[in-house]
Amino acid sequence: MDELPIPADAISAELEDLVFAGLPATRRSFLRAAGFGVGVAAVAGCSRAPVQKAIPHLTPPESIVPGRAYAIASTCAGCSAACGVLATCRDGRPVKLEGNPEHPLSRGGLCAVGQAELLSLYDSQRLDGARDREGGIGWDQADQLVVAELARIRADGGRVRLLTGTVHSPSTRAVIGRLLASLPDAAHVQYDAASTSAILDAHARSHGQRILPRYFFEQAQVVASFDADFLGTWISPVEHAAGWRQARDPEAEPPRMSTVVQFEGRLSLTGTRADRRVRIAPWETEPALARLVERLGVLAGGRAPSASAGRAETATLEEVDAVAGLLWQHRGAALVVAGAADGVAQDLVNRANVLLGAYGRTLDVERPSLQKRGDERALEQLRQELAAGAVDLLLVAGCNPVYELPDSEDLLAGLSATAMVIACSPSLDETAAAAHLVLPEPHSLESWGDAEPVAGFCTLQQPTAPPLRSARTLRATLARWMGDARGDRELLQAHWESELFARQDAIGSPAAFFAAALSRGFAELAPQPVPGAEAAAPAPAGSAFVAPADLVLVLHPQIAIPDGRHAHNPWLQELPDPVSKVAWDNCASVSPATARELGLRAGDVVRLNAGERAIELPAWVQTGQHDRVVAVALGYGRAGTDRFADVGPEWLQARATVESGGTIGENAAPLVARTAAGRVFAGAAVTVEKTGRRVELACSQDHHTLEVPAHLAPKGGEVRDPARELAFAAWQADPEHALHRGHHAPGEGELWAADHENDGPRWGLAVDLAACTGCSACVIACQAENNVPVVGKDEVRRHREMHWLRIDRYFEGAEGEERVHHQPMMCQHCDHAPCETVCPVLATVHSASGLNQQVYNRCVGTRYCANNCPYKVRRFNWFDYAHDDALENLALNPDVTVRSRGVMEKCSMCVQRIQEARSEARRRGEKVEDGAIRTACQQSCPTQAIVFGDHADPAGRMARLAASHRAYGVLDELGVAPSVRYLAGMNNDPLAPARAGHAETGGGHG
Amino acid sequence: MAEIHAPAVRPPTILGDKTLGGITSDVFAPLDRRPTRLWWWAFLSAAAALLLGTVCVGYQIMVGIGTWGLNRTVGWAFDITNFVFWVGIGHAGTLISAVLLLFRQRWRTSINRSAEAMTIFAVMCAGLFPVIHMGRPWLAFWVFPYPNARGPLWVNWRSPLLWDVFAIGTYFTISLVFWYIGLLPDLGTLRERARGLRKKVFGWLSLGWDGSARTWARYEVACVLLAALATPLVVSVHSVVSSDFATAILPGWHTTVFPPYFVVGAVFSGFAMVLMLMLIARKVMHLEDYMTMRHVHAMCKVIVFTGSIVGLAYGTELFMAWYSGNPYEKFAFANRMRGPFGWAYGVMVFCNVIAPQLLWFRKVRWSLGAVFLITILVNVGMWFERFVIIVSSLHRDFLPSAWTGYVPTWIELGTLLGSFGLFFTLFLLFCRFLPMIAASEIKAVVASERHHAPVAEGVAAEGVTTENVAAECETVEAAA
Repeated sequence: MDELPIPADAISAELEDLVFAGLPATRRSFLRAAGFGVGVAAVAGCSRAPVQKAIPHLTPPESIVPGRAYAIASTCAGCSAACGVLATCRDGRPVKLEGNPEHPLSRGGLCAVGQAELLSLYDSQRLDGARDREGGIGWDQADQLVVAELARIRADGGRVRLLTGTVHSPSTRAVIGRLLASLPDAAHVQYDAASTSAILDAHARSHGQRILPRYFFEQAQVVASFDADFLGTWISPVEHAAGWRQARDPEAEPPRMSTVVQFEGRLSLTGTRADRRVRIAPWETEPALARLVERLGVLAGGRAPSASAGRAETATLEEVDAVAGLLWQHRGAALVVAGAADGVAQDLVNRANVLLGAYGRTLDVERPSLQKRGDERALEQLRQELAAGAVDLLLVAGCNPVYELPDSEDLLAGLSATAMVIACSPSLDETAAAAHLVLPEPHSLESWGDAEPVAGFCTLQQPTAPPLRSARTLRATLARWMGDARGDRELLQAHWESELFARQDAIGSPAAFFAAALSRGFAELAPQPVPGAEAAAPAPAGSAFVAPADLVLVLHPQIAIPDGRHAHNPWLQELPDPVSKVAWDNCASVSPATARELGLRAGDVVRLNAGERAIELPAWVQTGQHDRVVAVALGYGRAGTDRFADVGPEWLQARATVESGGTIGENAAPLVARTAAGRVFAGAAVTVEKTGRRVELACSQDHHTLEVPAHLAPKGGEVRDPARELAFAAWQADPEHALHRGHHAPGEGELWAADHENDGPRWGLAVDLAACTGCSACVIACQAENNVPVVGKDEVRRHREMHWLRIDRYFEGAEGEERVHHQPMMCQHCDHAPCETVCPVLATVHSASGLNQQVYNRCVGTRYCANNCPYKVRRFNWFDYAHDDALENLALNPDVTVRSRGVMEKCSMCVQRIQEARSEARRRGEKVEDGAIRTACQQSCPTQAIVFGDHADPAGRMARLAASHRAYGVLDELGVAPSVRYLAGMNNDPLAPARAGHAETGGGHG
Repeated sequence: MAEIHAPAVRPPTILGDKTLGGITSDVFAPLDRRPTRLWWWAFLSAAAALLLGTVCVGYQIMVGIGTWGLNRTVGWAFDITNFVFWVGIGHAGTLISAVLLLFRQRWRTSINRSAEAMTIFAVMCAGLFPVIHMGRPWLAFWVFPYPNARGPLWVNWRSPLLWDVFAIGTYFTISLVFWYIGLLPDLGTLRERARGLRKKVFGWLSLGWDGSARTWARYEVACVLLAALATPLVVSVHSVVSSDFATAILPGWHTTVFPPYFVVGAVFSGFAMVLMLMLIARKVMHLEDYMTMRHVHAMCKVIVFTGSIVGLAYGTELFMAWYSGNPYEKFAFANRMRGPFGWAYGVMVFCNVIAPQLLWFRKVRWSLGAVFLITILVNVGMWFERFVIIVSSLHRDFLPSAWTGYVPTWIELGTLLGSFGLFFTLFLLFCRFLPMIAASEIKAVVASERHHAPVAEGVAAEGVTTENVAAECETVEAAA
């Protein structure tokens, strides 16, 4: 989908006409709306433009072929990272989101949340039209109310406050600026649910500018990360993962391999992929960083003041010393990052990076990130104003403070003391429920927008479908209140053609500039100078708060549900967390040793008391976690998530995913500590009490290690080796023999002639475990592409999740020192497929191009194929999985059959994409080019860990990877000849005592 | 050739000095009387179980296989366990009627009819499971290779499930025909005794049996031919069923010992079932004279013999797992014995290997209560054998990430109970409406034994007489 078959702007313009100029704007757009609208009007009756009749395409529109997909370049609004997307649309609606490969930040990757944004477009619970507390009111009436109130405030004075998440849309910022300027006492307060305010404040102190640097992990040869989950949830994970991957390519010539050392208390996704991982308690962060700065200072020849080591373990400090040496060795290509919301720690990080010469190389403050500009101090001040009843009009947009912030009761009291509270929110969330007026915002896929995630880099967001709901963006709303009745697009275009156009000189005319940006999805501009820190930055608050305790709390965002915004997305709820593999819940994670000490088993409901607050959560035993840490994911417990009560099949012994009136998981935000410097997410003392109740968690993996249970382990078979890892040093020393291959390569020593004649392509995948971070973007991409149903918590508990592509996560090694492997596991399309021989009705057969095909129509459902599959990748339709939500059904991919009850299904290697590319090539009379076909998982992968290709084309990228000395097939020894080749993972830990490569391969061969 | 062994050294097959007319009235009289209270209780319980099973199966077909406790890793459990269990039960019938006929084991005549009936009902129970275990049972006919307009779409001749279709189909057909042909003389008798509509129905069913010498001669030939046809089935059917597992690549399934292992296991469980039914029937239907201690002993010997082979098979499996050097194989058996389903393995070994060994003891064999208990244990054990093979192998196979557990649902338990309901309902109806002893064959045995009466009397001097054997039986029974 790299190329746009039709100019995206043309479509957008037409959609725009359709949306804002009313119907029928042109005959062509009417026809298009008819095609889309019939579906929508029929199912939900929610189209803004009710279509009276459908008109067949007797004279088809020139640019749109019915049934043929086209791509629209846009921007993902799933988080603040603003990754580029190409929305694959059919018949006027998006059916799949893909990463935009030309996008310089995301480089073609798109995370799980980004993929799932598609489904939230079709969320039937999004609000339709403005409403007050009684119910729906007209937009005009709502506007009149607000304009009157604003006029009163202008005349009589009064405080207007705008509370938002970080606004990185230049056009919206401009409108906000105009509004604030027109009011006597108005302020814009920004905060981020996952705050990085401490980093900005530290830069205000060290650099005089309140900025968030942009990190270049591709430049970093050595990264020391203190609890910064940069591959998972921290700031811009797709961009970071792509950079991390660029610094790590064992196949490159010469091989590149950076080293990541992760110091952390919980086990984060980055921790699972770190080359070296040091478990530290939150109170050790600051002394460890101080020691690091001290050591670096000494290495730099200076004399740094000796840091107090009182609170850190000696072992931690020894690790820090070693890491300092390593960083110093790679100064100029080294990077220190920290996730802590702690000014002292962030100051130390900045000093370390200065000492390492990292600024300008591995992190950039010239063109900084604009993604998270939240200011905790301003938020605190606003809370005080609200509590004092000093605000006359509060507008909340793009955030949900009542849910996200601690002490929500105080906040609610403050809101009720405010004369007018307006919430711009797509759904009736916790904050909107407390507002006087709710003005729904549209979904990013049905509206115009822009973003400047990194200074000087602006991306455009354009509608991919006519609005499904009556909603208005904050930009248009504010403009209208100031008497500017222009539509969203006009506002946006005007801003781009005036302000942004001026920041570049590559394109001469404003219109051409905007058109080019539309077609590519982004534009590169000169960065605007960041204003200097307004006031002298205050001295950092001490970290006294983070003190040693028996147990301390670490609150963190989770991959699937990074914050509460996504809690209403069933795809993400059902995505097992890549680390714990638990879906549909957040838990109180403790280490195995602590669990033993407290007598806890996974599923025991515990009460966490932190200060005066307490929540009850099921316990989870997480290997790899620090013994003194209780980790809880934020983003759960959203109001209204009992909508998933009946998400699964209903039958006698079914248990509801959530009880009516309950929530999915529990909101841990009340446990976030508030200090003068803002919210602190880690380090508060906590006590754990057993309640005596138990729940059964929905965990997709029962056995978590590569080791088989010790009492069952045969000699020589103690460890299994589906996921293998090599030490980089061993690989460099002897690439050919670093990985002990199986006794025979596939095809060697076969007794029987090949089963399947094959003279054309033989499709396969290469999966590079050295690149896979386990982020699970591929899982959701596959779900979206292949219409994989959501089955609900009870079915996941019963191990009946339907994901065609799962990520196996294994721990290996002693408790506390374990290595973690992530292994994407999909149908291996075996050449000697055990599933094919056992099906009595030939419902699973081999294609001429090496695919193992499942014929749903023919399947009678004996499940013998699944039993005989050594990879257990086949998925059975145990029930008729619900497709009742007609609006949600619009997300279904029309190219892929929706399976009925009683049939088997599995990864098809995106056969619909293969067929599309092949028929296109056939039409042109050409061969299918290498790289022309990309599976959904491959397309979405931020680190390009998955490569599709033709085994019969030795020059192709996949075949070259499959020929690597790192390549192996999982269970090759069975002789099933899998078409998916895995490339062994890579661990580059120069600090590890030299070990033989053998020990690294996960027990050698089987 | 009968002169060489029997009845000189053996007690007579039939006790009580029966006349031919007496046999007729003993066997056919119950059919004329109203059923006893005991029969009604048994029938109503069986029918209730059948009803429950029907409701469970109906619910499952309406709602989905998800109403079973299966998961992505354990794709078969109760369904195929029950299937193999019931197929195995059927084997004793064929063995008794066909193989023992060919070997001229005349003692079989008292039990062959009910054993054959049991075979048919067991195969019916068995046949139910492959159909209802399908995700889309309404398309079950797709497993038959019939000409069709879909291409034509053919079946997969490499799939053991297809072999099953033919094996079970053939087995059921032959067993039914064999049983029915065997019934003909008795149906003739029934026709003669009946009046009105019954006479008409039995007239139809007896295919105009006239009892002439020619008819008898043809009947004998047909029986021997059918026996010869059925004999290979004793071996083939369960060998094919075992291929469902043996041809798979799963450790714990993929093993060449399975065909003989399964066949012996089937005979083992089948004999236990026959013996169990026989012990009930002779009590309930007052057929102690026809199903004597001699029968019990003979069956006990078969059970202890086959049980020992089953034990050997278990040992062989373990040895091969160790000897193979294959870590997956070794693990599969370690996990089978000591993993989460180790208790089921324990039940299996105790019931199938240890319990039947008690039958070596004459005292145990003479105690009908003990024998009855052992037959029940063997059946429980053999059900668990299949459960262990299927579930313990499936739930932890190659990739540790895919390992799961398995817990049956109420629907599965109800379906299992329902299959017993179906079996016993059919069996009790059979007892009511058809002679459960092959009267014509018994008469031949009695006649032949009377022919050799002098020899028997010679033995009497040594102390084994019809009377004292019968008396001993009674004392033992009273004690039990």
